[in-house]
Amino acid sequence: MSGDPYSAEVREYFEKPAHAGQLEGVAAAYFEDQGLSIRLTAACEADRIVALRFQAHACPHVIAACEAFCRTFENAPVEHLERFNTAQIMRDLAVPAEKTGRILVLEDTVRSLRAAISDQQALQPQN
Amino acid sequence: MAELIYLDYAATTPVDPAVAERMRAVQQEAFFNPASNHAGGWKSDAVVQAAAAALGGLLNTDPDRLLWTSGATESNNLAIFGIATQRAHRGKHVITMRTEHKAVVDVYRALQKRGFEVTWLEPEADGALDIEKLKDALRDDTQLVSIMHVNNEIGTINDIATIGTCCRERGVALHVDGAQAAGKIPVDLSLLPVDVYSITGHKFYGPKGIGALYVADDVVLQPMLFGGGQQRRLRPGTLPVELIAGLGEAANQAQRRLAGDLEHLTRLKRELWNGISNIEGLRVNGQLDDAYPGILNVGIHGDQGVNGESLLLALEPLCVATGSACNAQSQESSYVLRALGRSDAEAQSAIRFSFGRPTSSQDIARAVDLYSRAIERLRAIAPEYVR
Repeated sequence: MSGDPYSAEVREYFEKPAHAGQLEGVAAAYFEDQGLSIRLTAACEADRIVALRFQAHACPHVIAACEAFCRTFENAPVEHLERFNTAQIMRDLAVPAEKTGRILVLEDTVRSLRAAISDQQALQPQN
Repeated sequence: MAELIYLDYAATTPVDPAVAERMRAVQQEAFFNPASNHAGGWKSDAVVQAAAAALGGLLNTDPDRLLWTSGATESNNLAIFGIATQRAHRGKHVITMRTEHKAVVDVYRALQKRGFEVTWLEPEADGALDIEKLKDALRDDTQLVSIMHVNNEIGTINDIATIGTCCRERGVALHVDGAQAAGKIPVDLSLLPVDVYSITGHKFYGPKGIGALYVADDVVLQPMLFGGGQQRRLRPGTLPVELIAGLGEAANQAQRRLAGDLEHLTRLKRELWNGISNIEGLRVNGQLDDAYPGILNVGIHGDQGVNGESLLLALEPLCVATGSACNAQSQESSYVLRALGRSDAEAQSAIRFSFGRPTSSQDIARAVDLYSRAIERLRAIAPEYVR
């Protein structure tokens, strides 16, 4: 290992994960693999995500990626979740390539969250 | 970053000021090649002899039985390959433990690839070797046993006297990796039935890059290096006089300070344990009271664990070792802790605290605070499924 393995962004998001926690009674997704686990919860109004929270049992890069995900997609249209890009988030946070598999666990959780939101929206009465 | 709090003395120690001063003086005044046949060479040779006498004094052995090496890894390689190869015509069965340092484990794996049969002994729950397991494993064709004196991860001290006696009774050579013992606990090679004993300088306030191998009187080794007649042709190469002088001074210091060091470390270990023992799910890896007092290895058992890599980062500015491979490439958990029966998750959440002469009670109090907070913080952001 050469030098500090964590970028300034990873350190900031790991130390101050403003979106760590959970929301009650909203769409939720949980995924675990490779010794790590991630839970995402999202509160939506109409087609917009108004609040996002994460919980993670993971390495600093994945915790930072969860925080970065929440910062990016909170207050965004639900359909923007399709734009979640593993390669982009790895570049932004300087995640080492060896950890691609771990970031893909986040991607899986995001997909599950998107499906959970769709399921919840389908159950809501149409105006 | 805040000033580092160093609690990783089992990885390496700072060079003692007296050692640094001795090395500086030798670099200036005795830089000559000790093999040279002139006044300068004789001066350097005297420095080497004095260092051998100091190390021999620390270990209570004849200085002539010591070979200088680059450190414990080289000593282990020379001891294991040297004996196994020398005795291969008698038999190719060798024995070691699963919890040995990589510098032993990997040499035994290399022997396996060269046609030797290796028996890997399992440790007891506290990390120690049950002598009955060794007795059961010894065979007529067994030529060599390697057992470490003090385990580098958990501090467990093996009963080398009993192990050595058992090996002697069967005519089997015993190699001991003493990297975590020499200069740190009393080691008397005049009493221990040991054939080869590995030593390194940087674990007890000497410089890095210098170590030694004790070779008992009647033990024959095959050399691994060739190229000169130095050190009875067993380990040729120009001797690094200033490093040897540094190791000698470290041995002098250790001999003088050993009892005080152990008292100091015992107090610190107790303070640390008292400070963190109430954390839910925490347990000691290895032994609490009978182990080397400079190491305390703890982990979180059950489903209350935390990620080891995140724990290390959350502990900053504390410098400690984790039970995982500690690199971005691998989440492989400690094979030593796995051998003790720990789960992958528990092994990865394990932290080895190791203390040294400069460690203060204030350092321990800070470590207690940082560790307690880090566990609490990481548990707070973990999903319910894990908590």
